[in-house]
This record gives sequence, C-alpha cells and structure tokens, in this order.
Amino acid sequence: MNAAFLILSLLAVAGALLAIRLHNLVHATLSLMFFFVALAGLFVLLMAEFIAAVQILVYVGAVGILILFAIMLTPHVTGENHGRLCSRGWIWGLAGAGAVFLILIAPVLLMAGLDTPPATAALSPSVREIGLVLMTPYGIALLVMALLLTAALVGAVVAASPPARDKDEPKP
Amino acid sequence: MVTLQHYLILSAVLFSIGLLGVLTRRHAVIVLIGIEIMLNAANLNLIAFWRFGPHLENFEGLLFTLFSIAVAAAEASVGLALVIAVYRHFKTPDVEKMNTLRE
Repeated sequence: MNAAFLILSLLAVAGALLAIRLHNLVHATLSLMFFFVALAGLFVLLMAEFIAAVQILVYVGAVGILILFAIMLTPHVTGENHGRLCSRGWIWGLAGAGAVFLILIAPVLLMAGLDTPPATAALSPSVREIGLVLMTPYGIALLVMALLLTAALVGAVVAASPPARDKDEPKP
Repeated sequence: MVTLQHYLILSAVLFSIGLLGVLTRRHAVIVLIGIEIMLNAANLNLIAFWRFGPHLENFEGLLFTLFSIAVAAAEASVGLALVIAVYRHFKTPDVEKMNTLRE
C-alpha cells in the first residue's frame, strides 16, 4: 500500500476522532482544520489538485475560521466543558453509528472479490479545462450556486442578528 | 497499490466518526463539526469514484465535489447562525436542553 495514503488517512482519522472527542471547543475546531488539511492531501493523491486548493481555501480558510469566531465571540460557549461529554443516550448513538458503518462497509467488502478497474492513466486537469467545463455545460448550476450563496449570506446575517426591540415597549 | 476499496473504507470510517459525533455529543457546535466531517467523507467518495472511473476527461466527480463544497460552506454559515440564535434563546449550547417541542 502506498505510504503517503497510509499516513494521510491515519492523520485524517486521528483529526476527525480528536475533533469529536475533545472537551475544549477551540481545540476541537483546530483538530477539525487539521482533518481538512489531511483530506486535501488525499485529494492531491487522487490527482484533484484544484479541489485540494479549494478545500484549503474554503474549509480551512473560511469554515474553520468561521467556527472559531463564532465560538470566541459567544460568551460561555468557549472554554472547557466540565460537565458530561456525551449525551444521555450515547450508547444508542454508538450503536447507530456502528450499524451505519457496517452497512456502508458491506458492499465494499463484497466487491473486494471482483476485479476492480485499474486507475486510468494519469490525467492532471488544468484549471483552464475545469473552468471551461464549468462555464459551458454547468453554467446554470453555477448561477444557481451563486444565488444559493447569496441567500445563505443574507439568511445567516438575519438568523444571527439579535431580535429587534419593539419601539413601543417600555424600557425596563 | 491503493485501490478504490481503500478510499471507500476510509470514507466509511470518516463518515461513521462524524455520525458518532452528531449522535453522541451534547454541544451544538460539536454536532455541526460532525456534520462537516460527514460531508467531507462524502466528497472523498466522489473524488475516488471519479479517479477510478472510466471517464476522467469529463470532470464529473470534480465538479460535483466543487458544488458540494459550495453547498457545505452555505450550510456551515447558516448552521452556525442558527446555533447562535438558539443559544441566545435557550442560554445554553446543550442540545439535550433544547426540548421545548417535546414538552
């Protein structure tokens, strides 16, 4: 097995496990960003360099920092959580996750007996080719995506802003 | 030689870890982090199927992942805004205490 794949997958699994098991939220978010970087390395192994760059830009640069800011700007959310880590029915959660894992892994293991198609010859898509494909057949989808991102931006601002005080309401 | 199966197994493991975080943790932000891990596992699956599939020149897996990342970014921003709004209402980030509909 390829050593790079082994190292990167171990790093990704470790980062994901730490992200959901750590008590401190800031540490959990940092290990989540570590997981994103390891996954970007796996994308490079799969010859998707552009997606790896997008992964770093969007996830590590935007989503991770967004979560960090949301944690740090909200009082009492940050810091150590000294109470119970898990919810009351955590054993059922564990059982459900294990069952989903078995269902996901069963087709893979059943397929292992068949001969799998070998990876086709190396083809490193340039950004220009991806952009051309993105513009011609997927132009409508790109426009819809821009609309979705705008709606998400407006919706996030509306949802996160504090409720407006009624002007007629007497001040306490 | 790394084959498609290795990537599928890795992606299943990552998806289960994310699901475990969503199902067992009490903090709302950690639940959101688990959802992000699950989305990334699905993206890895898409890229792996594209890489080991017969038609690399169409970039279908790449573009699907690109759109998926954009949707995930929108989901993360709206999700965090909702977590902050719910926190402001309930004064706690604990998802076990947000049970007004049940009572």
